[in-house]
Amino acid sequence: MVKVSAPVRWTLRLLAIGYVFFLVAWPVGMLFRRTFEGGLDNLRDAFNDEDVVSALLLTAQVAGIAVIINLVFGLTISILLVRYEFPGKRLLSAMIDVPLSVSPVVVGLALVLVYNGRDGWFGTTLEDNGFQVIFATPGLVMATCFVALPLVIREVVPTLTEVGDEQEQAARSLGANAPQTFWRITLPSIKWALVYGVVLSLARSVGEFGAVKVVSDNVSGRSQTATLMVEEKYQNFAQGSAYAIAFLLVMVCIACLVVVAVLRPQDEN
Amino acid sequence: MSIDITGVTKTYGDFVALDDVSLTIPTGQLTALLGPSGGGKSTLLRVIAGLETADTGEVTIEGVNATKLPPQKRNVGFVFQHYAVFKHMTVAKNVAFGMEIRKRPKDEIAARVDELLKLVHLSQFSHRLPSQLSGGQRQRMALARALAVEPTVLLLDEPFGALDAKVRKELRDWLRRLHDEVHVTTVFVTHDQEEAMEVADEIVVINEGRVEQVGSPDELYDEPANDFVMGFLGETTSLGGVLLRPHDVHLSLTPQEAGAAEGSISRVLRVGFEVRITVLTDDGDEVNVLLTRTHARQLGLEPGVRVWVSAASGATTVPKMAAAAG
Repeated sequence: MVKVSAPVRWTLRLLAIGYVFFLVAWPVGMLFRRTFEGGLDNLRDAFNDEDVVSALLLTAQVAGIAVIINLVFGLTISILLVRYEFPGKRLLSAMIDVPLSVSPVVVGLALVLVYNGRDGWFGTTLEDNGFQVIFATPGLVMATCFVALPLVIREVVPTLTEVGDEQEQAARSLGANAPQTFWRITLPSIKWALVYGVVLSLARSVGEFGAVKVVSDNVSGRSQTATLMVEEKYQNFAQGSAYAIAFLLVMVCIACLVVVAVLRPQDEN
Repeated sequence: MSIDITGVTKTYGDFVALDDVSLTIPTGQLTALLGPSGGGKSTLLRVIAGLETADTGEVTIEGVNATKLPPQKRNVGFVFQHYAVFKHMTVAKNVAFGMEIRKRPKDEIAARVDELLKLVHLSQFSHRLPSQLSGGQRQRMALARALAVEPTVLLLDEPFGALDAKVRKELRDWLRRLHDEVHVTTVFVTHDQEEAMEVADEIVVINEGRVEQVGSPDELYDEPANDFVMGFLGETTSLGGVLLRPHDVHLSLTPQEAGAAEGSISRVLRVGFEVRITVLTDDGDEVNVLLTRTHARQLGLEPGVRVWVSAASGATTVPKMAAAAG
C-alpha cells in the first residue's frame, strides 16, 4: 500500500466519517430521539392502533412472500446464468439489472398498465375470474418482487462462478443425481451468498415505497403497508406514530444484519 | 476387455478434440493417456466418465454400453487435477460421500472410510476440513473418495499437475504401489512423458485428437511409430535424414564408420555429468550429441574440433518427416 502523510490520512478519515455522520448517523439518530421523546408512549400508541398493526402485518406478509419468490427464482436464474449456455443469456442478464436502474414509481406504473382491472392486458381477464391484482395484496407482492429481483442473483452469481462446477462433476461421478448434487454440494457452497441475498432482499422489500405507492389504493387496514402509513401519519401531523413505525422499520434491517454477523463466524469455525 | 472406445468423435465448434478414436484399455492395468496440451486426452477421459458426451461413437465399460449413461450410472471413479474436494465437508465425509449416496449402512461406511484413509495415509486427518490439508494430501483424499464406491475403472485427469515437483514424484511412486495393491483398472492423463513411462503399464499417445501409438513404455521408446512419438518421448536430433536420440549418436575424432558425417563442433555445454555438444556437419545438419563428462574429456572436445558423427549401432531411428514435430 502506498504510504500517505499523517495530515492527508487524518483529512481523509474526517471526510469519510463526516460524510457518513451527516448523511446517515445524525438523521437516524434524530429519528430514534424523536421516537423515544415521550418515553415509550409513541411505540405504545402505535401498537394500540389497529391500523398500524395491520400495516405492519401487511408489510411482513408482502415482504415475506416477495423474499421467498425472489429466493426461488433468483436461485434458479443464477444457476441458469452461470452453468448453462443459451441464446439470449446476455439479454436476460441485462434485464435483471433493470430494477436497479429504473425508478420504483415507473415499475408501479408499468404494473398498473398491464394488470389493472379496467383496461390492463391481463388485468381484465384476471379480474373477471375473481382475482384482483392492482389495489390488492398480489399487486403489492409483484411490485416488491420486481424491485428486489436482482439482489439475490447479484449475490449468488459471483459465488457460483467462483466455486465452479468441478465439485458438482465429482458428486455426479460418485453417483449423485441432479437433486442430490444440488442439495448436498451446490447449496452448501453458496449458502452464505444466499443468506446475504435474502437479507438484502428483505431489507429492500420491507422498505419499498415508490412502486407500492402506485399499485396500492392506500386503504388502512387493507392495502396500506408500513411505509405508506409512515407517509400518511406524517402528513396528518401524527408525527409520533410516524417516528415509531419508521423506528421499527429501521430495527428490522438492523436485526437482519446482526443475525448474519452473529451466525457467520460460528459456521466458519 | 475393460474399456472399449469405438469411433468416438467430439468437436467444439470448429475445433476437433477427438477425431474418430478407437481404443481398447485392458482390465486391471495402469494406462496412461499421454500427449501435448489440447491434444484431446482429457476430453477422451471425460467421455469415458460421461462428463462429456461424444458426438458420435460408443463407449463400453466392462461389456456394458455406457454411451448414453449419465456419469452417476457408470460406476467410475474420477480424480480431478484441482482435486474438486467438497470444501464444506470433513475428510471423512468427503470419502463417505459416494457410499452415503448409495445408502449403505452407517457402520459399513465408517469401517470402509477408516480402511481407505489408512490406505492413503490420512487417518489422523479424518476430522479436518480439506482447506487444512496440503495439495498432495487433498489429492490423496480425492483418490480415496473415488475408490470408496468400488469403481469398475478409476480415471485420473492430470492428477499431479497442480503439485510441486517433489510431491509429484512421491505421489507418482505411491500411485504405482497403490495400483499394485488394489488392481483396479486405472486410466490417467498426463503430458509428462517421464511420469507416463515411470508409472504406466501401457501408454496411449494422443495428439491432435488421434491415437498415435499404443504400447508399453519400452515399446514406445524403442519402436516409436513415427517422428511425433519419437519426439514426444524424449530429445531428438536429426542426422542424415533420420531422427535419433542425442545419446545414440556415435562421435569420433577419426572416420571409423562408413557413412559417418564429417563436421566441426560449434558448441560445448556441460551440465553436471553430461556434456551436450553441437556439431555442424559439412552437409548442413546441426547434430546434438550427448556424452558423459569423462568420455568428452578423453576425446578432448572443444569448439572448432573436427569430428565424425554417425548413428550408433542399435540406435532407435525414425525417418524424418517434412514437418517434424518435437
